[in-house]
Amino acid sequence: MNDSVLMLTIMAAIGLGTPIVFATVGEILAERSGILNLGVQGMMLFGAVVGFWATFQTGSLWLGVFLAVVAGAAISVIHAFNSVTLRVSQIVSGLALTIFGTGVAIFIGRAGASPLVGRPSREIFEPIFPQSLADIPLVGPLIFGHDALVYLSWVIVAIASYYLFHTRPGLTVRAVGEDPASAEAAGINVSRVRYIHVMLGGALAGLGGAYFSLALVPSWQDNPIGSAGWIAIALVILASWRPWRALWVAYLFGAAGRVNFTFQTLEINIPSNLLAMLPFLLAIVAMLILASGKRARLLGAPEALGVPYFREER
Amino acid sequence: MSRRIIVEPRGLAPWWLKLLIPVASVIAALALGALFLMMTGNDWVEVYKKMADTAFGSGRGFAETLVSATPLILTGVAAAIAFKMLVWNIGGEGQLMFGAIAAAGVGIWLGGGTPPIIAITAVVLAGAIGGAFWASLSAVPKVYLGTNEIITTLMLNFIALNLMQYLVLGSFSPWRDPEATQFPQGRPIIDNARIPEFFHRLDWGLFIAIFVAVLAWFVISKTRSGFEYRIVGDSFNTARYAGIRVPKKILGTFLLSGASAGLAGSILVAGILGKMDPRSLDLGLGFTGIIVAALARLNPIAIIPVAILMGALNNAGPALQSIGVPTATVKILQGAILIFAVAGEFLIGNRFRRPRESVEEKPEPAKEASAA
Amino acid sequence: MPDQDQSSATPAVELRNIDKSFYGVFANADVDFSLAKGEVHALLGENGAGKSTLCSVMAGLYRPDSGEMLFDGKPMVFKSPKDAYAAGVGMVYQHFRLVSNLTVAENLALGNPEVGLRLSQGQLEAEAKELGERYDFPVDPSARIWQLSVGQQQRVEILKLLYRDAKILILDEPTAVLTPQEGEALFRAMRMLADEGRSLIFVSHKLQEVKAVSDRVTVLREGRVVGAANTDDAEPRDLARMMVGKDLVLPTRKPNESVGDEVLVIEDLVVEDDRGLDAVDGLSISVRAGEVVGIAGVSGNGQRELAQGIVGLMKVKSGSVRLNGTDVTKKSVLAKIKSGIAYVPQSRLGMGLAPGLTTEDNLALKQYREPPYSNGPLLSAAAFGRRGAELIEEFDVRGVRPGLPIRLLSGGNLQKALIAREVVQDHSVLIARSPTRGLDVGATADVRDHILAERDRGIAVLLISEDLDELLALSDRLVVIYEGRIVGEMPASEATAERLGLLMSGEREDQSA
Repeated sequence: MNDSVLMLTIMAAIGLGTPIVFATVGEILAERSGILNLGVQGMMLFGAVVGFWATFQTGSLWLGVFLAVVAGAAISVIHAFNSVTLRVSQIVSGLALTIFGTGVAIFIGRAGASPLVGRPSREIFEPIFPQSLADIPLVGPLIFGHDALVYLSWVIVAIASYYLFHTRPGLTVRAVGEDPASAEAAGINVSRVRYIHVMLGGALAGLGGAYFSLALVPSWQDNPIGSAGWIAIALVILASWRPWRALWVAYLFGAAGRVNFTFQTLEINIPSNLLAMLPFLLAIVAMLILASGKRARLLGAPEALGVPYFREER
Repeated sequence: MSRRIIVEPRGLAPWWLKLLIPVASVIAALALGALFLMMTGNDWVEVYKKMADTAFGSGRGFAETLVSATPLILTGVAAAIAFKMLVWNIGGEGQLMFGAIAAAGVGIWLGGGTPPIIAITAVVLAGAIGGAFWASLSAVPKVYLGTNEIITTLMLNFIALNLMQYLVLGSFSPWRDPEATQFPQGRPIIDNARIPEFFHRLDWGLFIAIFVAVLAWFVISKTRSGFEYRIVGDSFNTARYAGIRVPKKILGTFLLSGASAGLAGSILVAGILGKMDPRSLDLGLGFTGIIVAALARLNPIAIIPVAILMGALNNAGPALQSIGVPTATVKILQGAILIFAVAGEFLIGNRFRRPRESVEEKPEPAKEASAA
Repeated sequence: MPDQDQSSATPAVELRNIDKSFYGVFANADVDFSLAKGEVHALLGENGAGKSTLCSVMAGLYRPDSGEMLFDGKPMVFKSPKDAYAAGVGMVYQHFRLVSNLTVAENLALGNPEVGLRLSQGQLEAEAKELGERYDFPVDPSARIWQLSVGQQQRVEILKLLYRDAKILILDEPTAVLTPQEGEALFRAMRMLADEGRSLIFVSHKLQEVKAVSDRVTVLREGRVVGAANTDDAEPRDLARMMVGKDLVLPTRKPNESVGDEVLVIEDLVVEDDRGLDAVDGLSISVRAGEVVGIAGVSGNGQRELAQGIVGLMKVKSGSVRLNGTDVTKKSVLAKIKSGIAYVPQSRLGMGLAPGLTTEDNLALKQYREPPYSNGPLLSAAAFGRRGAELIEEFDVRGVRPGLPIRLLSGGNLQKALIAREVVQDHSVLIARSPTRGLDVGATADVRDHILAERDRGIAVLLISEDLDELLALSDRLVVIYEGRIVGEMPASEATAERLGLLMSGEREDQSA
């Protein structure tokens, strides 16, 4: 039963979805504070290479993860500085971050006399519970069949959701994303809130990147993450800026990524390129139906998203 | 309190500053790149020398640079005209690819005896129309439903890429070269549809690209339609108030932006490639166009030299492998240039002053006694 | 300079030599000010006198360029409103600072360090309800801000300050958005707060209000303090003179001599607002050539929808707009411009002008389609320059430099440029919304002259304003609207502020009265 096509698809969906969960929740935090960061792809790749490199050097998975998180947060400061302090176009700045991060990641992977590229990871994340537990029909794999980072992603989703909707700092973030002038008048330091949440977004993107290089694709390639960073940006809208929904839509996309293989198992032949379009088509259709015009507002789009905030405006 | 610096929007940036910022961005990016190279044990002087030599050191090298620059001029114009109207078309990639698909389709379908002038025109225009069509998939929902174009253009990039790959791989596809049995390849377009080369690999497509950039500048600054475009780009509300049909204007701009990117695709297909070659069309030319547009401060004329600079970087990248330096160095430089150029916009838009300095005279005290 | 406080008690606020400038223009210069504990202190001044800026400085939103601020005798530097809150200073801004998508209770909790880390909606709402009842300010704590009326939103703003136990409350033109009757209720609450020992700063440019509610008054003009007094000792005439800088002269307005035919006729007009409600709800007016018809009403009673419905910027749901006998109801904005409707919108930089384009470009904004500006599809740069220079000269628009974006001109010059463009085009109707709002005395006079000149040359003028002074100074006939309907109509000669005030608050009077 645990080997059924459905179960394998679900497990793969969770695996492929997990890095996207991290990145999507991170972007939700940044966007809830009013900053659109199109640099997710770059931040993820940078986290992926730093995590891989650190684990490769030390053999410690968790050190790799830690440094990936730090790397993601660090590189996101570029975007925070551009969009919060300098208040320039968030869209162009985010793209710049993606181009830069991608370049740096590929460069690090290929630099030096014995480059990382092509090498397998020294350690990879494995399921943490004994196989016997994972063999329990149905619930076994779903509950006990994952590596530590999957469980961590669940914890992060729960914390992010509670934080945003049930704590005072979370209220602050939402207010800053909706109406920074009012938030400022209520004594909130808008710039600080935005810096912190852009960096949280970067940290989670870095973590998502490390999940690729240390769990999903455990050898270094120029781009182990595909277009996961871009997908995360689309998923924020489909998740209507809510962390729990991000979890489900990310798994849905994970499943779509797996569909190719599933179809082959079921002897259905659809060219892989057409299937690869599926997640993107889905995102567009969903956007057209759910998030067009005023509906985006109702869905939960922060009012001030992407709008630079000038304090001493008269 | 006097140590405080006040930052405030400035009225008119001096012309030299507008020139200085992009130049300084490039220099700063080169400095950052040098730092990277040093940290990874490379001789940055040697690397930059190699790059300059490859891109500008010989006639052929410079011709290659111009070959690389040609599509970037067009994707740069595509980004610039859209961004200036706050249309965030980041789908230059996809529009270029779909333009290439359309151009190759026409170039394959045409009879071999079609006169060159007709064949070339048909193929090149097919690319522009294809690009406009691909843009319309985002533009129409944006204008009529209010769908965010950032996400739709982005998603359509990936759809176009997969579509293009499918059309080369698919066994029934007319785009697939029936004679390439080992590795699937694009089918060559008819010879008469190829844009002639005039030096080395450089073809007349370069002049089409330059013409488009100049045309964009002319229309924006000298025509009635361009004046309306500037009003809409400045304020939607004001444009509506002045009787301009804003949605139509946005739609038109978005489609022209897509057409320009699509033109880049068709010029590649009809020029150096001669067929739809997915790998040569998936080099991030659309995104690089955004760098070009930003560094040129959305000015269509400035796009030409900036595109040549970016073309030089793209041209020089692969040559670095011969001295053991990753090609990705070029990507780092391009990303850094864009970061610095964006940050530089702040300096163009703002000025700094001390609280009491450079302020006009205080108003005269009012000559009025107390009432009580 | 302000008198020293008679009592020996330390003032709640003392400002010394405050300077604040924006973009090189002074908003406050050498301001001294003192606020005693337990008093209501009015800050009186014309639009643009620097009252709001001074308040924002005290509330920590702006940092003064120089000068000293003492709160309860202690020198303070506020880096942000947070510091001001910590010092017990809170402000109700003219434009409310409420997050419209959050609930009342959430807005009270926002940024308040005394609310715990965990947010309990239930507890917050109970506290908000209790507080509202204590001050006789009933509001539904679970309602979202956008669901509340303007008056209710203002209460939330005040509750926000009380929730933090602010000792010094700054109210920036709180009555501007209220009916006279709502204003009365506010004044009672203000007295109650002062009696509790809190100090209040009350900003206004209306003498009667200052007389009605304040203990002391400080008058500002052109960014400077020009006088201070105990309210009871101050003669309204003297205050008015200080405020304006000269003796108040009643507007000298020639009555319109010849009123012509009906030019603009509106019948049963219905226009929906953005939320889909009928903001203009069956309204009929006609304006004759050479007549100024003033539309009075509290902000938000359909003024925007009326103006935008007539000019074609908002869709007319039903009813008709006729211009010189021709039905233009469904015509496009452009067709209406061409048929002769000139429009001075309320928001200069938000609608009437393209902020980033030059003055010359803006002056051509409605006529660029025709010669001399256009020559077929091409523009004539020479015509832009020549025509622009003529209008800049004729309408005395100052501060124009080549290539300078128009947004950098002052409010008065913006308005002059805007009016210049509107009145030089061929038109038979001029619709103007609050044309002198925010302008200084000189510019106000100029703008009023232009509008009267329009009338005198036979244009039908529809003046929509929330400023009674402006309406009384310019209108021949006054129409009062409330919730999108006409509730009263009278010749300007029979209008009094009191009568208009009653009508504006929805008290329907007998039409024949």
